[in-house]
Amino acid sequence: MPDGAGRRRRFVRGLMLPGQLISLFVLVVPLLVALALSFTTWSPTRGSLFDASFEGLFNYEELLFYDTRFVEAVVRTLVLAVVCLSLEFVIGLGMAVLFMREFRGKSLIFSTLLTPMMVLPVVVGYTFWMLFQSNGPINQMLELLLGDGAGLEWFRSASLATATVIITEVWHWTPLFFLILLSGLNSVPENPIRAAVILGASPRQVFWRIILPMLLPVIVVAFVIRSMEIIKLFDEVFMLTRGGPGSSTETISLYIYKLAFNDFQLAYGAAAAFLVLLGTLFLVDLLLTPIRKQLLEGRN
Amino acid sequence: MPVRPITWPLVVVLIFLLVVTLFPIFWIAMTAIKPPTDWNAVPAVWIPAEPTLINFRTLFDPDAIRDYGVGGVSESATAAVIGSIIASVSATLLSVMIGLLAAIGLSRYSASGRFTPLLILSGRMFPPAAIAVPFVIIFSAVGLIDTYLGLIAIYVAITLPFSTWMLKSFVDEIPREVEEAAMVDGKSRFMAHVTVTLPLIRGGLFATTLFIFILNWSEFLFALVLSYTNIETIPVRLAKYVTATAGTLYGVQAALAFLAMSPLVIAGFLIQKHLARGMTFGAVKR
Repeated sequence: MPDGAGRRRRFVRGLMLPGQLISLFVLVVPLLVALALSFTTWSPTRGSLFDASFEGLFNYEELLFYDTRFVEAVVRTLVLAVVCLSLEFVIGLGMAVLFMREFRGKSLIFSTLLTPMMVLPVVVGYTFWMLFQSNGPINQMLELLLGDGAGLEWFRSASLATATVIITEVWHWTPLFFLILLSGLNSVPENPIRAAVILGASPRQVFWRIILPMLLPVIVVAFVIRSMEIIKLFDEVFMLTRGGPGSSTETISLYIYKLAFNDFQLAYGAAAAFLVLLGTLFLVDLLLTPIRKQLLEGRN
Repeated sequence: MPVRPITWPLVVVLIFLLVVTLFPIFWIAMTAIKPPTDWNAVPAVWIPAEPTLINFRTLFDPDAIRDYGVGGVSESATAAVIGSIIASVSATLLSVMIGLLAAIGLSRYSASGRFTPLLILSGRMFPPAAIAVPFVIIFSAVGLIDTYLGLIAIYVAITLPFSTWMLKSFVDEIPREVEEAAMVDGKSRFMAHVTVTLPLIRGGLFATTLFIFILNWSEFLFALVLSYTNIETIPVRLAKYVTATAGTLYGVQAALAFLAMSPLVIAGFLIQKHLARGMTFGAVKR
């Protein structure tokens, strides 16, 4: 029935069209504009967009070889990603394993432990900014535990300010790891575990040799999603430290924001953005490598 | 996995986790009901002796705080609250509607090969700070800057990956046969989806809508760079309070932060079963 097939095709096209149009006009077109712009040195302070002249890879060269602030922001973001994701994963896994046990009020406690991930990033940043004030509750607790003068000037030193960012991120997003890993644990089949126990495996062996390998795809998904998000880290740091003191807690997103919206170096900022996108794609690809085979096999 | 009972050391761990999780939220709530004398007290006041709602009133009536001898609140937050509601609600409804169409296309007709899924996903790959650059240029050129229409368009585009993939995971769970049966009975393709598919994924649709609302309500960067005088959202207002007053208005800021987070915490509780699914584009189900 050629007519039916044509109608079906038109129907499917109609389903997809709105999504395609909005993605095209609100994402792809602006991205192409940004890409074109990144080969110029245009800034709104230098007149109309049409005055922009092609400068080749000038911005990219500048960023990679001469802009230490950019390179530092990239390295800092990656270090933050590694530290935060490791902590979130370990704590989240511990919480998930804890929730494989039975106790009273379990579902209510489960819901409560998920609350942080529902709070707006801006509010999280603002809240922790309050908590870490020199006369805030965290210093008060430190002085109570360690004696007078134990309070710290959290936002005055680079390492302490970095610590506030890490603590904030870990508080905010460990629940996501917890949630994802618990879903994973709940879907691990019981039979291989029973078999292993009958064959004399210790609980530790069961965990490392059977449960963890089965969790691997879920773990990778969690890491991919979270690393994509942490590369975009902006709101919390903006509220907490504004990248300070100096530029010691500046993430890539914060640096691009400052370039484009404080210094009006839009073309330069666009070039930085494209470098970040390339890096993100590379990183996601790298992270997906261990499970690509599994994913492809699962699909066919 | 076999289930075992909990032991005492683990109960202590659990209590510790609960305290750490709840403390920041407790602090926001307590600060929101502190009278101005307690805002910046040394040592910090944990639970105000005389709780008050003055901070919440001051948000909408800046003069309310004057009796306490505190100046500095210049603008009401009413516009920001209205702005957040307009932008998030309309963007959420649009995103879910467009996402639903795409989800049916992807799930039932494996539409458009590989390109469209990637196209829609691209909204998640890019750092918002990066997309924001061309937006400001293009939107200035076409007059969309500082308008709800512009902001809503962006919100729809960046939440579309979540609504599409989350809804697809719900549609995937419905057997095709029920729709095919309806079509055999003489319903058109479109009506079969409306009368059969839609009621079956009602719960999923509700969860997706709340999830997308959480994302839109939380959005900060685009609202920050695209709003000047006509539009404002709650996160932008909160950031402005912090900048403008160097943190002297703790109570009023905390009241706004509390207002901003409450609807999301409630929404999150209602859909917590599906949060993992949303965050991972449907890759993790429960």
